[in-house]
Amino acid sequence: MTSPSVDSTSSDRVMIHLDQLSKRFPGQHDNAVDELTMDVREGEIVVLVGPSGCGKTTTMKMINRIIEPTSGRIVLDGEDVTRTDPDQLRRRIGYVIQQVGLFPHLTVGDNIATVPTLLGWSRDRTRERVDELLSMVNMPPESFRDRYPKQLSGGQQQRIGVARALGGDPAVMLMDEPFGAIDPITRDRLQNEFLRLQSEVRKTIVFVTHDIDEAIKMGDRIAILQEGSRIAQYDTPEQILTHPANEFVASFIGRGASLKRLNLSRVADIELSPWPTVGVDASPEEALQALRATHHSAVLVLDESGRPRRWVGAEDVRHAGGRPLDQVGLPPEPVVEPEVTLSDALNELLTARYSVTIVVNRQGAFQGVVDIDQITDAVRTMRRTAVSRARAGLDENP
Amino acid sequence: MDFVDFLVRRSDDMLELGLGHAGVVGLSVLLATVLGVSLGVASYQRERAREAVLAVTGAFLTIPSFALFILLLGPLGLGTAPVVVALTMYGLMPVVRNTITGLREVDPAVVESAQGMGLSRRQRLLRIELPLAWPVIITGVRVSTLVLLGIAAIGAIVNGPGYGELIFTGLARVGTPVAVDLVLAGTLGVIVLAVLFDLLFYAVRRLTTSEGIR
Ligand SMILES: Nc1ncnc2c1ncn2[C@@H]1O[C@H](COP(=O)(O)OP(=O)(O)OP(=O)(O)O)[C@@H](O)[C@H]1O
Ligand SMILES: [Mg+2]
Repeated sequence: MTSPSVDSTSSDRVMIHLDQLSKRFPGQHDNAVDELTMDVREGEIVVLVGPSGCGKTTTMKMINRIIEPTSGRIVLDGEDVTRTDPDQLRRRIGYVIQQVGLFPHLTVGDNIATVPTLLGWSRDRTRERVDELLSMVNMPPESFRDRYPKQLSGGQQQRIGVARALGGDPAVMLMDEPFGAIDPITRDRLQNEFLRLQSEVRKTIVFVTHDIDEAIKMGDRIAILQEGSRIAQYDTPEQILTHPANEFVASFIGRGASLKRLNLSRVADIELSPWPTVGVDASPEEALQALRATHHSAVLVLDESGRPRRWVGAEDVRHAGGRPLDQVGLPPEPVVEPEVTLSDALNELLTARYSVTIVVNRQGAFQGVVDIDQITDAVRTMRRTAVSRARAGLDENP
Repeated sequence: MDFVDFLVRRSDDMLELGLGHAGVVGLSVLLATVLGVSLGVASYQRERAREAVLAVTGAFLTIPSFALFILLLGPLGLGTAPVVVALTMYGLMPVVRNTITGLREVDPAVVESAQGMGLSRRQRLLRIELPLAWPVIITGVRVSTLVLLGIAAIGAIVNGPGYGELIFTGLARVGTPVAVDLVLAGTLGVIVLAVLFDLLFYAVRRLTTSEGIR
């Protein structure tokens, strides 16, 4: 075996074990899912991704036996649940689908209370749980508890779908394209919200999508599936992007793989470049001095707290005519904080006047800049790390 | 004016016949609803069963009411019993059809998420599917009621209760001045009952349908 993982998001305990799981639908020639064996560890998000019809949904629905497997076993937290009472099983597994499927005749509160009620929780406990979950998905209980689903926007309905699935505090969640039918901006927000939520609740999640970008964003590990749910590659997003196992994976990731990789790291992860700066109260001579000392065409003017105020070039200084430095030149754009992804930083700097992105800390103080070379370096480093990690695995298992 | 006098003179009769008419229709509708919803629930998921149930209950409606009453006379005798049985048979089809339609119109995603949360087949039906199909079902019950109010009048032929008695008495005296009054009074009674039942259904439907699906 490989050495214990140091992955911070999950333990090594296997929560879901699928053992040679197959499904053949009546009247069909081939298995929709063909002898799939895979493990999902406690607390991780595993994304099943693959082309339409490859068997993602069928695989997921076999875990809570909405679709009964033709053969194979499902082991949940060490217990073989292939033949147990499916209703009991499902109360332990959260289930979110793309069409949400809220109960239109019940209030939001009663929707969320569904599983707690089935589990026989007391009224008080159920009520508390409902309010807690509403707050968790950023919907104030007082204003949403008593509404009906038709009185919610699509994004809000999807949030309630997630809250309802969390109702009975299940250890495992199954999510089938939960953000599929939502506009891109809302989807992005819901994804971020969900990741934040997950960092608190640490569920074991099987997440289905056909969107590789979503997979990269959401997954601790990604299983790229081919026809019949055959695993083409099952690994971390980094590994899959930097080290596609085969042609199928490479073409599924697409040509933008290098760029996609930029979604994986943040500005904080790389070393920033310096940039010449001067204080707001510097004299024109000092500014020119600073400019002469570098090969850059502008210096960055900082205020007393180190916050960027202006880009100032030699021409600007010469034509200043006695105006202070923070009233000449150009506004200090673009500015990003260290939490943004390299992909976002790249987007910013592509349109920037001086081809760099200014990085400031939370207080707005100047930290350094990011330029295109650093981003290419980062991509190169990621690829190298991935390669050596893959090789290390090789060396341990001759 | 004569007709109004007639009604005033016979107002006790009118009320009593009305109660009898409403009673026999109410009972039949109740039976048709229980049977019809059960048949709908039992058959809506399977195409064969669905079609069979609709074909049979539909066929009931094509039996001429006169004939059916007289046929039931043999086994059930005179009075309320043959009327209730016949009316229940006539009332089934609209209830069954609307139950099937209503249940089949429930969003599959809603049913699937209920299943995914661990509601048993029975819980799904009682807590999710039937409440969602209810507005459609109750519309079927209302149609049944209106149909039965009319047919119930024919029940007088086997001595059934209700306004049919006035109509048949009128029929027996065709040519006399009172005949028209009798038939008109019977008809008016049925119409008034229909309006009252409709109001009742409106109220029941409002009270029993969730705000979320109104
Ligand atoms: N109920 C069913 N009866 C017969 N065949 C089915 C049924 N459900 C799915 N299939 C078939 O099984 C295969 C896998 O379907 P599945 O829904 O799991 O695909 P998927 O990967 O989720 O695709 P998508 O991305 O389009 O949702 C497909 O070929 C599909 O036609
Ligand atoms: Mg699918």
